[in-house]
Amino acid sequence: MKVLEKMLPLVLVGTVLVIWEAAARSGLWSRLLFPSLVNIVQELGLFFTRSASLMEAWVSLQRALGGFALAAVVGILLGMLMGRSKLVAGLLDPLFSGTYAVPKLALFPIFIFVFGIGSLSKVALVFLECLYPIVIMTYAGARDVNRAFLWSAQNMGASRAAILRRVVIPATAPFIFAGFRVAVPVAMIVVVITEMVASADGLGYLVIYAMSSLRTDRVLALVVVIAALGYLLDRMVVLARDRLIYWEKLDTYYV
Amino acid sequence: MAAAKASLLIAVLAVWQISPLPEYVLSPFQILKHFAAALASAELYENIGASLARSVPGFVLGSFLGAALGLAAGVARWFDRMLSPAVFLTYPVPKIVMLPIFMIWFGIGDLSKVLIIALACFYPVFINAYYGVRQTRSILVWSALNMGATPAQIFRRVVLPSAAPMILAGLRVSLALSFIVMFAAEMINARSGLGHMIRVAENSLRFDLMYVSLLAIAILGYAGDRLVRFAHSRLLAWQQPA
Repeated sequence: MKVLEKMLPLVLVGTVLVIWEAAARSGLWSRLLFPSLVNIVQELGLFFTRSASLMEAWVSLQRALGGFALAAVVGILLGMLMGRSKLVAGLLDPLFSGTYAVPKLALFPIFIFVFGIGSLSKVALVFLECLYPIVIMTYAGARDVNRAFLWSAQNMGASRAAILRRVVIPATAPFIFAGFRVAVPVAMIVVVITEMVASADGLGYLVIYAMSSLRTDRVLALVVVIAALGYLLDRMVVLARDRLIYWEKLDTYYV
Repeated sequence: MAAAKASLLIAVLAVWQISPLPEYVLSPFQILKHFAAALASAELYENIGASLARSVPGFVLGSFLGAALGLAAGVARWFDRMLSPAVFLTYPVPKIVMLPIFMIWFGIGDLSKVLIIALACFYPVFINAYYGVRQTRSILVWSALNMGATPAQIFRRVVLPSAAPMILAGLRVSLALSFIVMFAAEMINARSGLGHMIRVAENSLRFDLMYVSLLAIAILGYAGDRLVRFAHSRLLAWQQPA
């Protein structure tokens, strides 16, 4: 029974794969619609053995991480300031909550004119999209630091800098990482979309190129690569979180 | 107080208005002027209509499936074991990469766009519904059991109300996502809609139309968000406003 329960997640994946392969081999649909798993794996192998395609992945990764890192630095700074100062919060909060639901992606055509069609416009858009979750989560965390801790630290004669470093930052850290976990997939989404819309390099461009040449197997291999990259980045955030915030376990069920 | 709150926004707009700008960055008043002109023509309404005809069905379909399956996975253990790992594993994957595949399977028309929007909207609602159910306080379920409630009654009167705030929070995220994916899909491949409009404007250097389309999608996103928050305050009146 125990073994059976452990196997259950594999059942779904296995069934989907078997149905897929059966559909591919049945001849009911063209190979262009349902390429066989063998072809997809071959394309995956090609992807990882060609340095050219690995370079494209590296380009995408650089854009995603560059925009994300910028957003992390600026977002933590702004969120901390908003959380610790009523004045800053009063100024910035309407700006962030007012434009939160607006799809920033619509700015991309304008960014192309302002920052050029190269990496800069994409990094700028990744930065902007990642900024919101990080600022909002950091703000929420820094605002609600347990007052008793702040009072005790003050009572024990801690300086403002010491309070910030020893009380506020550790108390806010879990919130910052929650923001990171939202922002990392967003960074991947924005990079892939912008590369699909206007680019001559990166994984998004490879997808559009394979699609235009009707290489469905190659498109699917790229989907697998992008999925794996998104998953790995998320795991890295979780890993970093668990190392840095060792005193608090991430209380989610699966991830 | 409202004026003080908006002071930074007003300051930004004022600096934007008076600073010298390249021709591809219009000033706020110019944008408003072009937007007012566009409001008088049919083109803007047609594109908004085409966009909403894609995003609304996608949002409804994806959110409905997400809520239904998320609730089911939260309640039924075997279903949870089977479905949840697949969902959580694919959660950080940018769903838009499936658009080319969907275009090959379902054609380049609206169906592939509706389905890709539904796929993107599915995840946040599923995950929130799932956690909403799992966060139901056991003591409430035990009390209901003790008072002789049937499983169906417990689901309707205990589990559903306690998961509702989380589901609505998921709907808020997925509505924002539906606009993003709609816009992206239309920028990549469409013959109508706001994303198509901004691409055409970009390619023909019609900066006025670019900003009109941008403002229209901004207003749509903002209005949709207000709508979900309004529904939240009406449906969950017993809850403290977030």
